[in-house]
Amino acid sequence: MGVEMVERARVGKAPKRGTAYQREYSLCAVVFLLPMIFFLVVFVVWPILSSAQMSLFAWNGVSPTRQYVGFQNWSRLIGDRIFWSAFRNNLTVLVLSIVIQIPMGMALAVLVSNGGRWMVVFKTVCFLPMLMSSVAIGILFKYVYDPYFGVLTASLKAVGLSPLVRNWLGDPQIALYSVIAVVCWQFIPFYMILFEAGIAGIPVELHEAAIIDGATENQYFWHITLPLLWGTTRAAVSLALFGSLTYFDLVWVMTTGGPSGATELMATYMVKKAFLSTEVGYGSTVAFAMFLIVVLISGIAFFVTRRKESSPWSS
Amino acid sequence: MKIWIRTSTVAVLVALILGACAPATTPTASPAGSTTAPTVQPTQAPATQTSAEKKVITLWHVQTGDGPKVIQNEVDRYMADHPDVEVKVEAQQTDNYTVKLNVALGADNPPCVFSTWGGGPLYQYVKAGKIQDLTEWMNQDNYKDRFLDAGIASITFDGKIWAVPVEHSAIAVIFYNKKIFADNGLSIPSTYDELLQIITKLKSVGIAPFALGGKSVWPELFFTTYFVDRLGGPEAFRAAATRTGGSFTDPPFIQAGQMIQDLVKMGAFVEGFNGLDYGTGQSRMLMYSGKAAMEMMGTWNISTIKGENPDFYATNLGFFPFPAIVGEKGDPNDVAGSIGQDLYSVAAACKYPKEAFELIQYMIDDKAVAERAAIGRIVPVKSFTTDDPMLKEVLRLLKQAPNVQLWWDQYLPPDLGQASLDTTQALFSLTQTPGVAFGNMETTAIRVFGK
Repeated sequence: MGVEMVERARVGKAPKRGTAYQREYSLCAVVFLLPMIFFLVVFVVWPILSSAQMSLFAWNGVSPTRQYVGFQNWSRLIGDRIFWSAFRNNLTVLVLSIVIQIPMGMALAVLVSNGGRWMVVFKTVCFLPMLMSSVAIGILFKYVYDPYFGVLTASLKAVGLSPLVRNWLGDPQIALYSVIAVVCWQFIPFYMILFEAGIAGIPVELHEAAIIDGATENQYFWHITLPLLWGTTRAAVSLALFGSLTYFDLVWVMTTGGPSGATELMATYMVKKAFLSTEVGYGSTVAFAMFLIVVLISGIAFFVTRRKESSPWSS
Repeated sequence: MKIWIRTSTVAVLVALILGACAPATTPTASPAGSTTAPTVQPTQAPATQTSAEKKVITLWHVQTGDGPKVIQNEVDRYMADHPDVEVKVEAQQTDNYTVKLNVALGADNPPCVFSTWGGGPLYQYVKAGKIQDLTEWMNQDNYKDRFLDAGIASITFDGKIWAVPVEHSAIAVIFYNKKIFADNGLSIPSTYDELLQIITKLKSVGIAPFALGGKSVWPELFFTTYFVDRLGGPEAFRAAATRTGGSFTDPPFIQAGQMIQDLVKMGAFVEGFNGLDYGTGQSRMLMYSGKAAMEMMGTWNISTIKGENPDFYATNLGFFPFPAIVGEKGDPNDVAGSIGQDLYSVAAACKYPKEAFELIQYMIDDKAVAERAAIGRIVPVKSFTTDDPMLKEVLRLLKQAPNVQLWWDQYLPPDLGQASLDTTQALFSLTQTPGVAFGNMETTAIRVFGK
């Protein structure tokens, strides 16, 4: 039995079910997981359930008492024009984030993976946006987007493209896209690093073999690299999905959801309702609705893109 | 060697963790069982302090320009006279201050002393039992008589006093660039029609008539307030706001909305105003650079500009009150403003309320009054006089006003105040008609007050 155990461990299989060793093994696993489970329950599960409960009440956040209102908040939410407009904005952010950030991240990753020494410098510079605080980026770009003194306006004017100058953050038609541009600037480096790690996991021999067999770099990328990055891509899409549906930082700093709701997102609407209008009950309703929406959309995305994880070496 | 590295790493980590877990000197007076911020701290020592331990009071303010320096001077003087108290001053940003304060008060983890703008939001905190009743101390030696009556009235609820007027009194006026006016032969308008003529003239020479911090929204609210006040008198707003027979869809409101949209359509506001943030100075920059001729703003702007751009303040800055709308109910001498705004309250959860109140008293004693006057503030004490011509004019406008209308978003309960901001922004962005915009505000009012 001892030999069998070692054999199973060597190829990475869990202990045989039902054995004493398996019970011990499982117990060990649970004990190690307990701290994480504790934090997860206290900081994730409980607040979510608590906001679901709060959505049945009306409370102003400071009063020691709160009022039970049943599903009144929910019926208000369903008819709330602003919330659904915010949801549509979230979808815009979602689509544009996936369409812009992921391909560009991948392109940069391919560039960086193939490069030489200079790529290390390039990589570091590219990564800087991710290290800056969102608030700092937001204020910085607010000045960049200033329609009179901002860098963007000044540059366009300097090269004679004055007619292109717009009210970047104040025009309801383009404000959201202006903000999305900055979001992309902030997060593309993240995807670059993600895909770079994925590409690093592809064995170099594959590349050599493909070249020997006469494949061009282009063919290599589309037919070998890309399919092998499927798992990473899926992870990237999930992250983009979740991030876009719950996005808050830059929109709040740059436009606070204005002008007149043009850049309102579900998260900014929630904060406005819960803390500025001091309707914590309704704000919790928005928050829990966000949770349901994110779970639903992520679930669908995950289900649709499921595929058996396979590596070239699996037997 | 390996063991050496391992043990020293562990030792360093342990030292770091212990250092991070050391009790920070926060003055949180958290009653047992309330939720405090999730930092890893040992529980607070019991109330009886040894003489070696200092009492810690936290103070939150939203002052900018030279304001924080003045506050620090007063705090230093207080600490010099009271060596057993340590005061931590934390400057907060105006635009997100309400959110932060709401959370702090709601979680019973508030600063001991903090500023508010009085009115509806303060009353909400009072009703929730979060504010220390100051009546007894204000009546001691008739201390409250030091302040302007209107200032005390704005923070008296249910017969008790809940704050101290400190920082300044301010009214909303129209600031203008004297040079631009002189160059174009313009003089201060006394009627709204004259203002419209000025706007047309400025547009014809390519200067934006009004700078406006539209992204911050509350600068736009000044216009709404004045239009409604000039058209319907202060009763129009009061009747609607206190639900005593008025509605936000009454004719003065709709007409005010119409006039605002007419102004926007005729290009009275600088292009791109929707995205300009007053807090980061974007609208002021337009005034300084001569791209815009006027800006409607509270008179704290005098102090801000004095500190930010002394040249402009000295040579080019002027202001006039919102003009009269001839033939309408409102009194042209009425002003929109706040007496003693940035009033300081003591949190009910504060461990040292008496010391906190004394600190506030230091912030408005004679030395402090003089310092505030020097940086261009109108202090809400009865004894206040000034030689500064600009402040003298503000004081005159303030004293002669039959009615001082408090800013709508501070007068109204928070959710209705927010609705007034949303309505105003919709009007200025031309995304809703006055009927729809004010209709939404009325709907919110009905929901908030139940009638």
